[in-house]
Formats: sequence, C-alpha cells, structure tokens
Amino acid sequence: MESLQFTQGIVNAILLSGTLALVAIGFSIVWGILNIINLAHGAFLMVGAYITYWLFTLYGIDPFLSLPISMAIMFVVGYLVQRYLINMVIRAPLLVTFLLTFALEIVIINLATFFWKGDLRSVTPDYAGLGFSLGNVQVPYVRLAAFFISLILTGLLHVFMTYTKTGNAIRATGMDIDAARLQGVRIPQTYALTYALGTALAAGAGTLISISFPIDPTMGGAYTLRAFVICVLGGLGSIPGVMMGSVVFAFIEVFSGIWFPSLKDAIALLVLVLVLIVRPSGIAGKAFYH
Amino acid sequence: MSKRVLVLLVVLLVAAMALAACGGSQATPAPSGGEEQSTSGTTEEQASTEEACKVVFGAAVSLTGKYAKEGEYVKNGYELYVEEINKQDGIPVGDKKCMVELKIYDDESNADRSAQLVEKLITEDHVTFLLGPYGSGNTFATTAIAEKYKVPMVEANGAATKIFNRGFKYSFAVLSPAPNYLRGIIDMALDKDPNLKTVAIVIENGAFALEVAQGAKDYAEEKGLEVVYFDKYAKAAKDVSSLITAMKSKNPDIVLGAGHLQDTILVMKQSKDLGLSPKVFGFSVGPTSPEFRKALGKDADYVVGAAQWTPELKYKSDDIFGTPQHFTELYKAKYGEIPPYQAAESAAALIAYQKAIEAAGSLDKDKVRDALAALDYDSFYGKLKFNEQGMNVYKPMAVMQNYTDGGLYTVWPKEAAVKEFLYPFKPWDER
Repeated sequence: MESLQFTQGIVNAILLSGTLALVAIGFSIVWGILNIINLAHGAFLMVGAYITYWLFTLYGIDPFLSLPISMAIMFVVGYLVQRYLINMVIRAPLLVTFLLTFALEIVIINLATFFWKGDLRSVTPDYAGLGFSLGNVQVPYVRLAAFFISLILTGLLHVFMTYTKTGNAIRATGMDIDAARLQGVRIPQTYALTYALGTALAAGAGTLISISFPIDPTMGGAYTLRAFVICVLGGLGSIPGVMMGSVVFAFIEVFSGIWFPSLKDAIALLVLVLVLIVRPSGIAGKAFYH
Repeated sequence: MSKRVLVLLVVLLVAAMALAACGGSQATPAPSGGEEQSTSGTTEEQASTEEACKVVFGAAVSLTGKYAKEGEYVKNGYELYVEEINKQDGIPVGDKKCMVELKIYDDESNADRSAQLVEKLITEDHVTFLLGPYGSGNTFATTAIAEKYKVPMVEANGAATKIFNRGFKYSFAVLSPAPNYLRGIIDMALDKDPNLKTVAIVIENGAFALEVAQGAKDYAEEKGLEVVYFDKYAKAAKDVSSLITAMKSKNPDIVLGAGHLQDTILVMKQSKDLGLSPKVFGFSVGPTSPEFRKALGKDADYVVGAAQWTPELKYKSDDIFGTPQHFTELYKAKYGEIPPYQAAESAAALIAYQKAIEAAGSLDKDKVRDALAALDYDSFYGKLKFNEQGMNVYKPMAVMQNYTDGGLYTVWPKEAAVKEFLYPFKPWDER
C-alpha cells in the first residue's frame, strides 16, 4: 500500500502547487517590480479569506462566486495602501519598506483578531469534501477547482503582462525605471497598480484557501513565508520560474509531511537555506521581472 | 540582489514570523512585592467576610482562539453552578452562608497570557480561590502561579499528568488523567469485534495529546493490537492531509486521534476528502461536543469520542445538581443544548470547592486546601477524590457516539449505555 501513499502524495502536491503559485506570484511581482518584500502579503490573503467567509456565512454567496468580489475589494485596498502609504517611503532603503510592511501586517492581524476574534472558522458549502477517485487516489472537487482557477488567474496575469500596454509598462518599470520614465510611463500609478495586482492575487488565493482549509487571523504568516521561499527557489525572473518554484516547494512540503510530519516546516526552510547557499539567484532566476 | 543581503533578509523574515507568532504573549512579569499584595488581599478578604460574606472564584478561560469553543463550555459550567448555588443563598461556611461570585478573563488560548491573568486575579483582584483554564498547556502554566502564591486551584480541564508531577500542593484536578482517555474506545471496539488488528494514531503536538496518545499506544499493544501509525502534527496545523494520506496507505482498522475539537474536525474533513474509512474513528476530544455535529453535519455519524462524563450516567448525589439528568435539564434550559462534559466537569470543580469549604468551615486558603486533599465525595459528575499528586484517578471514562439519527448517545461502559455501539464506520463512498 506504500504506492498509494506515493501516488496520493503526488496528487496532493500538484493540487497544492496551484494555490501556492497564486500566492507566490502576487508576492513575486511586488518584489520584482517595486523591490518591496511585502510582509503584509499574507495578511491581505487572510482578509480575502474572511471576505469569502462572511459573504458565505451572512449572505449565502457561493465561495467560488465571491472570488471576483474579494479580489476587487482588495485590489482597491492595495492601490490605496501603496499610493498613500508605501509610496511615501518607496525611495528609502529596502529595510525601511520591509519594516513598514511588517508593521502593516501586525496592524491588519490585530484588527482582524479584534473584530472577528481568534476562532478558527470554515467555509462549508454542501459540496465540501466531495470528490472522485482515480483507482485508490482521491481527488477532492474543491481543490481541483482551486487548482484550475489558480492556473487560469496565473495565465491571465501572464497575458496581461506580456500583451497589454499597461503590463508592458509594469515590466519596463521593473527592468529600468529611468528608461521607463523617459518613455512616458507614469511611475507612481504603475507602482500602485502593481501593488494592487499583488494584493488582489493574494486575496484570490485567500478565497480559494478558505474553501479547503480552516481560517483564522494569523493564517497569513505561513503563506508569506512560503511565498518568500518559492520566490527564492524560482527566482524573481518570471512567472514560469514562480510556477516551477511552487511545484518544487509543494512536493517538498507534502512528502516531508508524509515521512516526517513533525519536521515539515523545518525541512521546507532548510531547503531555502540550501538554495541560498548554493544558488542565490534561484533555480531559474534573474534579478528583475520580465 | 547580493547574496549577503538575501541571507540577512531571510534571517529577518524568520525572526519577524517568530515574533508575529508570539504576538500578544509577553513573558509573565514577576511583579515586585507581589507576595505582599497577595497577603494584604487575604486580610481584606477575611475582613469583608465579617460584613457581607462572599467568595470570589477567579479563572482565565479561553474565550477566543483555538480553544474558544471548549472555553465557552467551561465558562457555562462555572456560571451554571454559581447561578444555582446563589439561589440557595450561597455556600455554607461555618454557621453562615456566602454568596458566590465569578471573575473570568479571556486568555486567548495562550498559556503565557493565562498565567499572566491568573497572577492578576491573585494580586490585583484578590480572588478567594482559583478555578482552572481550558486545556493542559494553559493549566500547566497557571497551576505554577497558583502554587507560587499558595492559592488553591481546582481545575477541571487539564488532564496531562505532567501538570501533577511537579510536587505541587495547591493544584487539584476533578477529571480523569490523559493517558486513560482512549482506553474505553479500545475496549469497546475489541468487545464488538475481537478480530480488529491494527491501530493508527494521529497526535496534536501538545502536552495533553501526547500523553493521551502514549496511553492509547501502550494500552492497544497490551491488548494485542498492532500500532501501524503514530505521528504528530503541529499544534496550529491547518492541513493534515499528508498524515491522512500516510495513514490511509497503512489501511488501519481503527483510527484514533489525540487532540482537541478543532483538530478533530480537521482530521474528519480531510479524511473524507482523501477517502480514509477505517472501521472505527475515535477521538480524545471533539465528537462529544454539539459543535462537532454542527461543523460536520451527516459526516459526524458513527464517530466516537471519549467522555469524562455523559448526561446518561447513573450517578446519584446530594449536591445541588443531584444527578447527571438534572444537571442536563438545568443546562439545557439555560444554554439550549445538551451539556458537553467540559461544562459538567467545570461545575464539578466548584462542587469540590463547596464540599471542601463546608468541611473546613472557613474560607482560609490553607484550611480549604487540606480539606480538598482529604475530599472523598460522590457528586453528580462521579467520584471527587484526589490522590497525593492532586489527580482524580478514581473516576472512569465513558464513550459517546454520534448516531445516524443525529443524536449523541452513551455507548460505553455497557452498564450506562443507552444505545448499542454502531459498528463498523460506514465508508465515505457508500454514503
């Protein structure tokens, strides 16, 4: 029966990698373009999850339908936060923005704990827990759907960045801010837009996570950390890099969870340390976004 | 970005996460002059007994956070007792009666916070006696504070034996200790089907659950079962699918979970996701609370849980509740649901105090402590008697099952069972 453990592990890892990619891509574009390590990323994810939870609990809105709502709300929030808060210190050294987003994270988590209490909550639509089996391997519908939605959102982002004028402006800003400015790119707006995109992606990931896992105000930290590791693994270079980093990380996490459950987090971080020592630019990375 | 900066950032990030994780939990301050404050508190208390006599019980209970639901049951149990005893003008102390008051703080399911608040209850609020928080971790922390200030604490929700292995004199537990929790389920399963061979145990990495699991493992092996899986998940785990997958590959006859309500719900949900269907699903904490049924609906069917107490047990007592059935009626009238055992044992802690205070004829902390140590009383909750360490090893555990009709019934021990144990667990794909 060991082979079942192995095949089910592979399925779990693939499904997990979709969600992780969505978490990490938002984190990655903010890091790559704005040069901000956005510690508040997980907090935005948590707020996205709560938006879904409340829409479901209070108004019975299906969690998948709440996806655009939570993304739209957090897009606006992200835009305002960047434009009127982070932008004030955008020229400061990396450590300053790092600390600012750390403070932001603590504020958001504490406000959430204050208003919503620290209880673990679950979004429980009727179809939660249903799935189909491939031989002995179980595939839950909810996670499969979350996986495909993550892929679609990632694909849309890739198309946006590659084929639209605004997307090109964002990438140009990441490559060479002065050249971009000379070409007429409005830097503050572009920065705010990028940050808003990252925040909306975090919220989208939060929505999808809330359908499969219990949520609480402190849930985000673990995802920020994973996004960071994935970005280092995959490099900040590209969307494919992040996808690859997510797959690698998901496999490490799932299989260390099967073989050494109590050391799961330690092993994941050990991998981060090893990558930093051996190949600090990531498996496929370059220093900016393109 | 240079390698050095990246490494620095990683260090900062990890430190930041660690800081955030302990947010709100500062180290317990040892207030200077705390002892003096406590003594003056005692004299004040004694002075006030001569005017309008009252006895104040203080507790830090989890009203938010991981143990919020269990904590609510604890608070309900305490409050129900206080309401009932005050209808009779309070606890008899010598030749007069003292009204009872409760002072409860929210410890946010955090052991450090719990200890801090208990210190505040002693030094600032000058409570007469202490009641326990919810959970072994928090109880472990708070009993140390009670011991430091020599204030008795009768606790009802910390079952780990390590709480009592420190030679403390002021801590007492009314509930059965952790290693006994899952034994009833193992006995019951083997009684039903002697052909069961294998057990898998998943464990929350915390004081209580580790002892529950070890106790269950030893007992299962003693009974000739093979333990094919025995592993831990992190205390704040939100995803145990890897453990479920590993267990499923071992195809165990019995799956036992050592943990608390939230983890139990998580294990059940993900077992359904991944199609883990053993013949018996049993847990230390969770299946016996109404919240379990609310969270899982029909998926709660067949699941059994260990119970310190059930509404159907046949105890008789001369305490204010009399029988488990009468306690159940009162609780239902006040809170609208069947009482979970956490509420009953919490009320029982106050019964233990009442009987000790009556025996001592005084509210003096040391006299009441001695009376508690000598207590031997049959309450609506079962026997209240403590061994030298302060543990109640005299009361048996029961087992309850979530029935297919939506009810929750005592199915073990046989003499108290109101329904037969439904066996085996109906596999997910046949539902």
